[in-house]
Amino acid sequence: MSAPRGGLIGSPAPRRKNRELLTGEGTYVADIRLEGQVYARVVRSPSAHARLLGVDTSEALRVPGVVAAITADDIDDIRIPIRLPFAESPEANAVLQAPLAADVVRYVGEPVAVVVADDPYVAEDAAELVSVDLEELEPVLDPATSAESSRTLVHESFGSNTIGRLAYRYGDVDAAFAQADVVVRRRLRVHRLAATPMETRGLVADYDSGSGGLTVWGGAKVKHFTRALLSRVLGLELTKVRVIEVEVGGGFGTRGEPYPEDILVALLARRLERPVQWIEDRWEHMVATNHAREQEHDFELAAGADGRMLGFRVRGWCDHGAYVRTQGLLPVVLPMVHLPGPYEWQAFSMDLDAVLTNRTPVGTYRGPGMTEATFVRERMVDILAAELQMDPADLRRRNLIPAESMPFSFMPGPGSGAVMPIMYQGGDFVQAFDQMLDGAGYDRMRVEQQQARADGQHAGVGISAYIEFAAVGPFEEVEVIGGAGNVVVRAGVGSLGQGVETALAQIAAELLDVPLTDVTVEFHDTAEVPQGFGAFASRSTVLAGNAIAAAVDEMRAVAAPLLGCGPDDVEFRGGAATAPGDRSVGLGDIGPTRGRFEKEGLTASFGGAVCSVSVNPADGRARVDRFALAHDVGRAVNPRLLRGQLAGAAAQGIGGALFEEIAYDEHGQPLSVTFADYMMPTAAELPDVEVTIIEHGSGSNPLGIKGGGEAGMVGSLGAVANGVADAVGAGAEVLSSSVSSAHLWHALHRPTGHDPGEE
Amino acid sequence: MKPPPFAYAAAGTLDEAVALLDEAGEDAKLLAGGQSLLPLLAFRLARPSHLIDIGGIEGLDTLEEQDGCLRVGALVRHATLERADLNGGWQALREAASLIGHLPIRVRGTFGGSLAHADPASELGVVAAAFDAEIVLRSVRGVRTMPARDFFLAPLTTAADPDEVLVEARFPTPGTGFRSVFEEFSPRIGDFAYASVAAGCRLATDGSARDVRIALGSVGPTPVRALDAEQALSGSFLDDTAIVECARLAAELCDPDAGDWHADGTYRRALVSHLVERALRRLGGGP
Repeated sequence: MSAPRGGLIGSPAPRRKNRELLTGEGTYVADIRLEGQVYARVVRSPSAHARLLGVDTSEALRVPGVVAAITADDIDDIRIPIRLPFAESPEANAVLQAPLAADVVRYVGEPVAVVVADDPYVAEDAAELVSVDLEELEPVLDPATSAESSRTLVHESFGSNTIGRLAYRYGDVDAAFAQADVVVRRRLRVHRLAATPMETRGLVADYDSGSGGLTVWGGAKVKHFTRALLSRVLGLELTKVRVIEVEVGGGFGTRGEPYPEDILVALLARRLERPVQWIEDRWEHMVATNHAREQEHDFELAAGADGRMLGFRVRGWCDHGAYVRTQGLLPVVLPMVHLPGPYEWQAFSMDLDAVLTNRTPVGTYRGPGMTEATFVRERMVDILAAELQMDPADLRRRNLIPAESMPFSFMPGPGSGAVMPIMYQGGDFVQAFDQMLDGAGYDRMRVEQQQARADGQHAGVGISAYIEFAAVGPFEEVEVIGGAGNVVVRAGVGSLGQGVETALAQIAAELLDVPLTDVTVEFHDTAEVPQGFGAFASRSTVLAGNAIAAAVDEMRAVAAPLLGCGPDDVEFRGGAATAPGDRSVGLGDIGPTRGRFEKEGLTASFGGAVCSVSVNPADGRARVDRFALAHDVGRAVNPRLLRGQLAGAAAQGIGGALFEEIAYDEHGQPLSVTFADYMMPTAAELPDVEVTIIEHGSGSNPLGIKGGGEAGMVGSLGAVANGVADAVGAGAEVLSSSVSSAHLWHALHRPTGHDPGEE
Repeated sequence: MKPPPFAYAAAGTLDEAVALLDEAGEDAKLLAGGQSLLPLLAFRLARPSHLIDIGGIEGLDTLEEQDGCLRVGALVRHATLERADLNGGWQALREAASLIGHLPIRVRGTFGGSLAHADPASELGVVAAAFDAEIVLRSVRGVRTMPARDFFLAPLTTAADPDEVLVEARFPTPGTGFRSVFEEFSPRIGDFAYASVAAGCRLATDGSARDVRIALGSVGPTPVRALDAEQALSGSFLDDTAIVECARLAAELCDPDAGDWHADGTYRRALVSHLVERALRRLGGGP
C-alpha cells in the first residue's frame, strides 16, 4: 500500500478542460441544436422612460416563419423575486421587474415583446416590425439628483425614487470629529461599469408535454434557484424542472441570475411545445444584463495631526437602475459593510440611500460593493495623507487593526437600522500589508518615482488596502461516491470558467488519497445534484470543499465498523479505507456518503494593491506600469488557478479605471453598446499583475480556506486612482474612479487648475 | 445583431462588378474586406438592397510605383501596406496602415474599402488628403479621377456616384529627401483615433523645411489639410518656435463640434497640437 499522497491541496494542478476549451471543443449554450428548435428575439424599449400605450405584433406575426409573438398581455402578471432574503425589503419588493413591461417602460432595453421564429434571422427581421406606441416621459438619470430633488418618479405608484436608506452607527462620531486636528471632505463618484463576460447570456428551454417536464440549458451560477423560480412561475412540480449548466464563458456576478428572458424563454417553450433558443447579442447584453458600481458618496474623514484616523461620516447614493432585480439591495448593502475596511476607527456614521434611475438595473459585479467602498475610503485616506504630508503607506500602517485585537467587530450602535454587523474573524493586517509592500518593492517604487520626476515625468504610486467579505452560506451539501479507480463528487456549485471543479477534485483526491485524475466532479445538472446555492461571493471552494471534507469524515464513520476500529483509526490510502493491522475496505464498498457544510455569516479577508502609474499631461493618458496585489486566501487550494483569478480580476479593475465606462446621454440613451465604446483593456494596455498570496488560515472552516475569485478587483479602482492622483499632484483632483484619458485631461486643464508642468 | 435581408452577388471581374452595380441601383453596396460594412449590417445601421462582393477580383491589389506615382489598388490589405517595401517618402502610409484596428482586421480590411467608407477617423483618408492622392473611380460610364480633397464630402459620404467602384489611389512620387510620418492618439491600441496627423516635408540643404504637408483626422467631418500650418512652416527650420506655432495653427482647424462623448472638441484640439508637435519633431530627426 502506498504512502498517503498528500500535497494535492496547495498544488498548481492545471485547470480541467483547458484543452477542450482552448481548442474550441467546448459546448456552450449557443451550440445547442434540438430537433424542431425555434429562436426568440426580444423587442426592447427604445426609450428610457415612457408610457407604453400599446404593442402591436400583428405585422410581425404575418412574416413567414414566425411562430409566436407575445406581449405583457399574454403572460401572467408576475415579478422576478429577490434571491437573497437578507437583500430584501418591502420597498425593494415594490419595484421588482416583470418579464415584459406592461404600462410604463423604465430603461432603454426593457423587454416589451418577444418574437419567435424558425430561424434567428427571421426572428430579428420580424421583431423590427413590432410597433411600440410610446408617450415619452422625463427620464431620471443621476442618482443623487434622483434621490434629493427629482420631480419625476421612476415608479409613480411607489411614490419615491429612494427605495431604502441604510444607517450604521458605531461609536460617538461627533466626539471623534470634535477631537480631530484635521478633517477632509470630498464628494467621490464611482462610475457605471458592466462585467461583460466574453460569452453573452443564452438559454435553450424544452418542454416535454408527455412527461410534463421542462429542461433549461444555459442556467449558470444559481441553477437551483432558477429551477425553483421556473417551477413556481410555470406551475410545475420542482422535480419536473431541470436546469443544466453547459460551458460558460465567464460570469463575474452578472451571468446566470434569473432575468426576464429566463422566464420568457421557459414560458414560450411550454406554450409552443418546441425547444426555444435565445442568445443575447452584444448590444442587448450592454442594455439588458445588470450594470454595476455607480454611486456617489459625500465622505468626511477626521484625524489627529499624528495621522491617527478617528472617524468618518458618509452620506451616499447607490444607484439601482430602473428596477430591483434578483440581487435585491446588495448594491447598497455591500458598499456599506465594506466602507470601514481594515482600520481601527473610533467611530463612524454611514447613511446610504438605494436610489432608482431610468437606466439598466444594477446588480453585483466581481468584488461588488467592496470595490466601490474601497475606492471611496482609500481615495480619502490618500487625500488625508497629502493633507498631513505623510507617506500613504505609513498612514495606513498606523491605522490598521492590530493582530492582537482579533477577532474584531464594529457592532452597530443606537440609530443603526437592521444591518449586518461588521466582524473580522482574524488575520494579521499589518503583517500582510507589509508583505504586500515588500513583495512589490514599495521603497524601490518610491525611489524610481523620484528618479522619473527628476526626469520631468509625472510618476505616481498608488496604494489601497481592503477587507473583502466573502464565502456566504447558508450551506452546501455534496455527495461523494467512491469506486475502484473513480470517485464522483456531486456538488451544487457552478463553474463559470474559474476552475472550481479542479479545486474540488484536488480536495477530494487528497482526503481520499486517490490520484487526481480518478476524481470526477459533477455539478452541471439539477437532476443529478439535488440542491445547491451556486457560484457567487467567492463561496464555491470554501463551502463545497468543506462539505467534501464532511463527506469524507462520514465515509470514515461508515468504514469504521466494517474495519472493526474507531473512526479516528481509519486512514484513506490508495483508494481504500484502511485500519491498523493491514485491514482495508475499498471505497466502492463503503457506499455513497453525503457531507454538509453550514456557514453563518461572511468570512473577512484582508488584501491590498500597490501600483506605479505614469501620466502624460499633454494627452491625459495614464499608464499603469506596475501592479502588485496581495490577498489573504486562508489557504491556497490551487495557487495557479488562484493567481489566474487574482490577476484576471485586477486586469478587469485596471480596465475599469482607465477605459471602461457605461455612459448615457441626456435622454437616457446608452452610449456604450459596443466593444468599440465600452473599452475593455487588451493585453497591450495592461502590466503584468504581480500576486502575493497570503495564507492566514481561517478558523471559520475546517480546511481554512477563504474566498479568492473576486479579490483581485477589490483594491484596483482605489489603487489606480491613488496612483494617478499621486502622479498629477496638485495638477488635478481625482474624485472619480474613472481616470480615462479624456476625464484626466479635462481635470488637468480646468481653467482654474494649475499647470501640472509647473509643479 | 443579424443583418437585414439583402441580395448578394460575387463579381469575378471589374467589368462584371460595375455592371452588377449599375444594375442593382443606388441602394447597392460593394463588399471587399467587410471590416466596416459587416458591423454596420449587424447593427442594421446599413440596409443595402444588394451586396456586390469584389473581394475575389484579380488585379485590384496593385502596389507599385509607376509613371511618377505610387498606385495602391482597392484590394490591397492594410497588413500588406504596413509591411510594404516603400521608400521613405511613404513612411506615413505604412505607419497609418499599421495603426488600423488589430491585426486580424488589417489582414482582411482593404485600402479601397477604408477610403470609400470615409470614416473621419480613417487613417488612410488622412494620408490621402495629406499627399494629394488621386482617386480613380470606374463605372459602366467610364473612368474618372479626382483629388482626395474633393473626394471626401462628409462622414461616411464621398463624391463617388452610386454606380462607381473605387479602383485605386495614386500618390504622386515626392521629391528626393522627402520624409513622412503618421501620429495618432487612441485610448487603446486599435481604437478609432481621437485625433490623427499625417505630416511630411523635405529638408533643404540649409536645413529648412520644404514641401510641407500636414493633414488631420478625427477632428471634423472629413480629413482636413492644414494649409496655414504648412505655409507657416515652409522655409522655416524645424525648431521649437516654428513647431509650436505650426501645431497651434493646425489645432485651430479642429471643429469644436467634432467630438463625441469619449473625447470632446476641446480635448481633440489639444491632442492635434500635441500630435503635430510630435510628428514635426520626428521629421526634424527627433525620436
